[in-house]
Amino acid sequence: MSVLTRNTRLTVEYADDLRLFRSRPAQTGAVLLVAIWLALPMLLGDYWATVFVYAGIASIGAIGLNLLTGFTGQVSMGHAVFYGIGAYGAAIFADRWGLPFPLWLIAAASVGGVVGGLAGPFALRLRGNYLVIISLGLLVIGQHLFENWTSVTGGLTGTAVRAKVAIGSLDVAALSLGGVRLSRNQGYLYFVWAMVALLGLAAHNIARSRPGRALQAIRDRDLAAEVIGVSQVHYKVGAFVLSSGYAACAGALYASYARYVSPLDFSLFLSIQFIAMIVVGGIGRIYGSILGAVFLTTLPRVIESVSGSLPFVSADGTGGGLTVQSLNQALFGVLTVTFLLFEPLGLAEMWRRVTRYFKSWPFSY
Amino acid sequence: MNESRLLRVHDLTLRFGGVTALSEVSFDVNEGELFAIIGPNGAGKTSIFNCLNGIYRPQVGRIMLGDQELTGRSPVAIAKLGVARTFQNLGLFSNLTVLENILLGRHHLMRTSLLTGALWWGPARREELAQRRSCEDIIELLELEPYRFLPVAMLPYGVRKRVEVARALAMQPRLLLLDEPAAGMNLEETEDMARYIREINEELGVAMLLVEHDMHFVMDLAHRIMAVDFGRVLAIGTPDVVRADASVIDAYLGVAS
Repeated sequence: MSVLTRNTRLTVEYADDLRLFRSRPAQTGAVLLVAIWLALPMLLGDYWATVFVYAGIASIGAIGLNLLTGFTGQVSMGHAVFYGIGAYGAAIFADRWGLPFPLWLIAAASVGGVVGGLAGPFALRLRGNYLVIISLGLLVIGQHLFENWTSVTGGLTGTAVRAKVAIGSLDVAALSLGGVRLSRNQGYLYFVWAMVALLGLAAHNIARSRPGRALQAIRDRDLAAEVIGVSQVHYKVGAFVLSSGYAACAGALYASYARYVSPLDFSLFLSIQFIAMIVVGGIGRIYGSILGAVFLTTLPRVIESVSGSLPFVSADGTGGGLTVQSLNQALFGVLTVTFLLFEPLGLAEMWRRVTRYFKSWPFSY
Repeated sequence: MNESRLLRVHDLTLRFGGVTALSEVSFDVNEGELFAIIGPNGAGKTSIFNCLNGIYRPQVGRIMLGDQELTGRSPVAIAKLGVARTFQNLGLFSNLTVLENILLGRHHLMRTSLLTGALWWGPARREELAQRRSCEDIIELLELEPYRFLPVAMLPYGVRKRVEVARALAMQPRLLLLDEPAAGMNLEETEDMARYIREINEELGVAMLLVEHDMHFVMDLAHRIMAVDFGRVLAIGTPDVVRADASVIDAYLGVAS
């Protein structure tokens, strides 16, 4: 009996079903994650701190794409455009208009959301492969504007960004904790991952309430959704607004952290990377987007750091064989295809299988 | 007939190019009535449903629900007016759980938007709790308790049929359209379904429009029956009247030579 009761508690209230962290292990896990968030910036060197800041920014973009593709079933190749709009938005709102911190971020995300909303109606007429082609067209138009609308974007040479994350004298780039000054990377690491938690929670809340169910209903069976009163127009456009708003927010954070943006940052490859992140991480699971983003952002860096001890690989390709970069690209493709074939629900599903195993331990199923 | 009319279908004609799917179909459904439509394959039964739902736009004719006109309205608007429906080959959201499917039936009775949903704590959570409570009554009625948290895709066919009825019922409909609720079911499941349909009709007083091939099922359940063939009404009346109608016998068994 003790075996049975140890891992499961009876739920006696409907409210218990709605709790964010329902089981004891999940609650412990949440506390652990906060502890990691607090400790990691202190433990990581500058290089890895940078990697994890980018992983956090990518997570926000991936959450956005998951809301659109994973939850609503609309595949879009245009995600990089909205990311780019956010990045240039940060440059314009913060540097030229001089808006203070939360405002330039909100403004940049809103502009991304509005442009995304304009793209939404295409999804009402087209689905599947046709929507992918349309979104590719959007990407080409976006690229063209980024490169040629010089007065706004600075053209091919790009533009410097000074959008600071600072309220009054509290500057994320120059935090101090108990008298110890933190580096810019450490400050951003705290801030970006706090944003990931905030936006991830918001996305999760949407997913588990009325609008989230409506999005998934449209994904699974759009005609049946209409017949029970779920408006496709409303929720498809809503999903585009939300998803591109997330992308633009990520782009704005990227601009603020990198301090320089150019059209090359927002290419087709970035769109594909976002799609790969949600495929590897887990389609239709918010935390899957974060897993995928962290995995695919850190993997190339991990390979880079162990490349010295890998055969046939050298940093610059001088010893014959692969360069680290080409190995990365190859692995990236192989991973995406492998996940699609063998674990279409991604890392999130693997994680779920592990937890389920321990939930029913010592019974094997 | 002195009972109050809930649904009035008048002179419905639906054409696809040169094909006439329905021609001059007229019938009424009373409040609380269990009205069945029978007919051979391709007779136009599901087309009638699709017109009622707003999926098809009939070229001629009017459909009135109470004093509201349904013709020309969108499926979403018609759902909000209280017309619920199940599909012949299931219209469930297969990646969602049974509970989520049923909660989706209450979509038009709920208010949480993308914005208030994102905030969760407060109105959104309160609404989730309240609706969960009312869904439990429907789960109990259709005996779906063991499946609440299972994705629909994992369930056997007979249970899925029940989930779809539960979802339609969750909409608190004035009129429930059931498209072949017993199709593909074994005898035991069919009997269960008949019991659920009668319970819903008698205890909740929901008027129903039923399309079905299983004659025993229809004859036992329906108050009145309409027989259609080639998009035309052959007969309307009580089961005994329709059973004895010569044109119905012809359509089903062929003309005696």
